[in-house]
This record gives sequence, C-alpha cells and structure tokens, in this order.
Amino acid sequence: MKVTKIIASSYKILASHRLRTFLCISSVAIGVMAVVVMVSMGRGAQKRILDMIRDMGTNLIVVNAGHVTLVGGRERQSAIVTTLKPADADAIQDHCASVADVAPETSRKMNVQWESENLMTNVVGVTAAALQIRNIEIETGRSFDSIENDTARRVALVGTVIVEKLFFSGEDPIGHQIRIGRAPFEVVGVMKAKGVDANGVDRDDRVLIPINTAMRRLIRITYIQKIHIQVANSKKLQRAETEIRELLRERHRLRDKPDDFTIQNQATLVQTERQSTRTLTLLMGSAAAISLLVGGIGILAVMLTASRERKKEIGLRRAIGARRRDIRTQFLLESLIIAGTGGFSGASIGLLFTFLASKLGGWNTIVSWDATAVGLALSVVIGLLFGIYPASKASSLEPIEALRAK
Amino acid sequence: MIKVKNIEKTYRKGSVSTPVLRCVNLAINRGEYVAIMGTSGTGKSTLMNILGCLDKPTSGMFEFDGVDVSKLDDDTLSTLRNKKFGFVFQVFFLLERTTALDNVLLPLIYADKYPTDAIQRAKKALARVGLEDRTKYLANELSGGQQQRVAIARALINDPDVILADEPTGNLDSDSTSEVLEIFNRLHKEGRTIVVVTHDREVAVQAHRILELRDGKLFENDARAKLEN
Repeated sequence: MKVTKIIASSYKILASHRLRTFLCISSVAIGVMAVVVMVSMGRGAQKRILDMIRDMGTNLIVVNAGHVTLVGGRERQSAIVTTLKPADADAIQDHCASVADVAPETSRKMNVQWESENLMTNVVGVTAAALQIRNIEIETGRSFDSIENDTARRVALVGTVIVEKLFFSGEDPIGHQIRIGRAPFEVVGVMKAKGVDANGVDRDDRVLIPINTAMRRLIRITYIQKIHIQVANSKKLQRAETEIRELLRERHRLRDKPDDFTIQNQATLVQTERQSTRTLTLLMGSAAAISLLVGGIGILAVMLTASRERKKEIGLRRAIGARRRDIRTQFLLESLIIAGTGGFSGASIGLLFTFLASKLGGWNTIVSWDATAVGLALSVVIGLLFGIYPASKASSLEPIEALRAK
Repeated sequence: MIKVKNIEKTYRKGSVSTPVLRCVNLAINRGEYVAIMGTSGTGKSTLMNILGCLDKPTSGMFEFDGVDVSKLDDDTLSTLRNKKFGFVFQVFFLLERTTALDNVLLPLIYADKYPTDAIQRAKKALARVGLEDRTKYLANELSGGQQQRVAIARALINDPDVILADEPTGNLDSDSTSEVLEIFNRLHKEGRTIVVVTHDREVAVQAHRILELRDGKLFENDARAKLEN
C-alpha cells in the first residue's frame, strides 16, 4: 500500500463530505485556538503585572509600619502603628551595607482644593530621594529639593488625575496655590502619568509634598508609615532584607516579640506573582485543552458514522486486496487529517487573534509558541486517540459481511 | 487452476443451520469461460465468494494454482485477491464521488508496489471497455452500463488470472448487457479465465462451460442441453 495514495484518497473522501468534515475540523480548531489565546493572554497578564512591580522601583524593599496584608489585591494596614520613625530610615542607610538609598514616607487622605474645586486624595510626604528610588518622573515644572524638605516648605507635586479634576479648564497648575487641608501649597511640578500599580493604587491620584512639611506642619506626627529602600543590586535583596529586619528589631527592642513592621521584598513579590500567574495561565490553558476533548468526541462520532455508512466501500476495498491494516491506516489517516487540519487552523487563527488583539485592541497578550506547539501536538494526539477505535472497528469487518451490508 | 473438492457451506444463526452448498466439486482450467447457473437462493453467490477467497467453506478443499487456500491467513488472502482475481459485482460497487479513473486505480493502491505508469494503465483499461472519454466523470454521473464497464476495467487493472463476475448484467438494460457480454467474449478470446454466476440464460450461453447449482450440488453434463431446450 502506498501511504501517499491513501492520504490522497482520504483527502478526496473527506472533501466529498464537506459539511461534516468542516464541522469536525472546526471543533478541533476552536479547542486549539482557545489553548493558544488563553495561554497568550495569561502570559500577557503575567508580563503586565511583573512590569508594574518592576516599575515601582528597581531592587526595591519596602518596610511598612505594622502588619500589612493584601486584601483584594490591595495593601491594608491592620492598625495604626507609631513605632517606625524617620531615624529608622537614617539608621538603615548608615548601617545596612547592602542598602544604596532610603526614602521614608508618610501619607494621609486629605482634601485638596483649588478655587472652588476640591477632592479627597492621597497626600504623601516623601524625601527628594524618593523620586529616584520610586521611578517618579516630572512631566512639567520641577521636583522639590532637600533644602525645601529640611526647611519644611509648602511646595507640592501633583499627579495627572489631580490636574484633570482641579484644573480641568486646561490651566497650567504650575505656580498656583492649592489648599491641602487648610494649608496653602505652591504647585511646583506635575508628575508623569504612571497608572495603577501592582497593589491597585492609582499613582496619578496623589499629591507629593516634602516629608518634613507633612509631619511637622500638616499632619503633625512623629512617625512614618513606610520606608522605600533601594538595594545596591538584585543579588543583595535577600541579605538586605535580613540586615534591615535585624536592625529594626534591635532599634525597636522587640526581643521575643513579633515584628512591628512588614518587609516587602520586590524579588519575592515578583516570584509570587510569577507563580500565581503561571498557575492561572496553566489553569486557563488546561480548561481550553479540555475543550479539545469535544473535538475528539466529534471525530469519534464522525468516524464511527463513516465506518457504518461505508461498510460496502470497506467490503469492496477488502475484496480488491486491502488488508485489515490498510483499512485501519486509512481510517486513522482520515482522523489525523481532520485533527491536524483543525489543529493547524486553530493555531493560525489563535496566533492571528493574539497578534491583532495586541496591536489593534491594546490587549496584553504575548504570542506563546510553546502553547501553540502543545495545541498542535494535542490535536494530533486527539486525532489518534479518538480515531483508533473507529479504525479498528472498520478493519475488523469481514469482506463478505461488509459487501452484504444494507 | 481452480480445484474445489467436497465443498460444503452451512449458515448458522443461533440454533438454526441452513446448508447452502453440499459436496460441491469443480475444476476450472486456465483460459476457460464458465457460467454457473441456478435459481435464486441456490448458493451461486456463496460459491462465487468462496472461489474469490471472500468467504470460507464450512468444510472441503479449495486449491488455487496448487495452493490450499484454507491454510492461508487473512493478509495472504487479501494479496491473493489483489493479484489473481478481478471482481465484477451486480451492483458495480464503485466509489460514487470518485472519478472513473480513480475507481480503476483503486486495486493498484493495495499492490506490493504502486506502478509508475499507473495512470496510463488505468486509461488503457478504460479504453478497452470503450470509456476513454469518460475518465474524469464521477461514477454517479455515469449510466448503469458505463458503471459496470468501469468495474470491468477496475477488475482488469492488475492483470488478474481470473475474472469473477457475480450477476454482472443483473442491473443492466439489454443494450448494456450486450456491451458487457461482448467485453467478456473479447477478454476470453485474449486468454482470460472467466467465471460468471448468473440466472440469465442469455448470459450463460456465452460461456463454453455451463454448470448448474441444484439442491446445493453442481451439475454440468445436462446443463447446456437444458438451456438450449
């Protein structure tokens, strides 16, 4: 038997039952397309989250006062803790060898007003160094410097959401006076838009002021909520975390008590997010792969029907010299042609959809070649698995009973 | 060439046994044109299927070219059918949505080696049955007579030793019947061995030997005389 001739013959037979063949191919194609698209979307989502984490700063460790947990993807402080002080930030800078720079921070939700417009927003007190550590860029105007911080001047950097909501008539906010609470502040700069961070916080909906101004003149507190710490390089992140924990426990005299602070290590965060998005991607891909089973059942149904309808043809082929394995090969090849064509079509459509969604729709998708290969391989396996039974059934027919079939 | 000795065939369904062939003896030499006659239900097709290695007898011996066919396995029987036999059936058994040419080529797919001149051979076979201008027609676009001629061309493609025809004109009109019989006569003159199973007198008298199946047994001596009377 010439396999190429059988393949050609199989193509003609499948082509002669166009609708049935098309429906079967489609069911496999949809399954493979789903695998490709789901995994691509999962990979895209993973990259977006990782980019957001990295966008928060490079080689970053964040020390939070008290116990901070993630609730619905957002940070929540369980209680107000007053043990974290600006001197802790200085001590970390001075004594932790792995640390390159530190930026203490305190914040509160306050009312911000300009002329008759006002809104509640996050007012964050930071040092001048914070802008560099946290990758904050200036769109227009300038940042405030360390002297303005030391002298607790009332100057402010505003985010683009503040500009939209307060200065919606299009006026340039630079140089204007806004009120934060009751205190007047001069707007010296507008921050570049950054969007929502990995913790779900809108980084454009805030006002940055010098930390000393926030602590002494506005909120009137002696404690801080956070310290952003930039580590010298990524390899030192774990060591830096250990050094910082030991230093703060000593400074806060904790001895046997638990930490009164929480340390977020960016590397750990990246790893956790990577694992969780990988799990999610795997789940989505597996769900899509299960849909391939539907395609397989379709192939099984079609080929079983075909072996029943084509009994006389099987009888004829056996009469003119086909062996059992020739019949089995033919039917199996027909299953594989259906599955392979479906797999290839589904992969192509899936890749095209992923590409177009990314380019035209702005979706976060990354073309996943390994998922495409897996989808294609799965379609072939499905074709084999679900084609073997009908093929065996067809080949088991005796020629005379096949010829006599009604 | 074909030697059949004490062949019996009984069909069993549950506890019911139906004997069809009882003690059939037959010898066919190369180049003979033999007709096996009988009324409906006498076992003509059963005998034809046994001769064509499509079915096995319940007991008895069948030798083809000196080889005991009962000892051959399924694959060898398939190869034997491909190489040695050409089948022509009453209902043609063509692949309907396939061209005449591809239908004729079908036995070559199962040959040991697909010949390089396969298409030429198929066209030549179709030309021998007068269908050289119908090669690209689908089988279901041809008349009954044309379909049977395609079946004959298919039966000839592997240059078989024996043509086995089971009621080859059963579904044909008189003109087509004459065309088919004329082809068989021509093939016989070329030296082919032809075995035809028929209930049709017009078909049977074309053969040089006429045998009659009666009560499960094969009779020859008075068969032609009875026919001519």
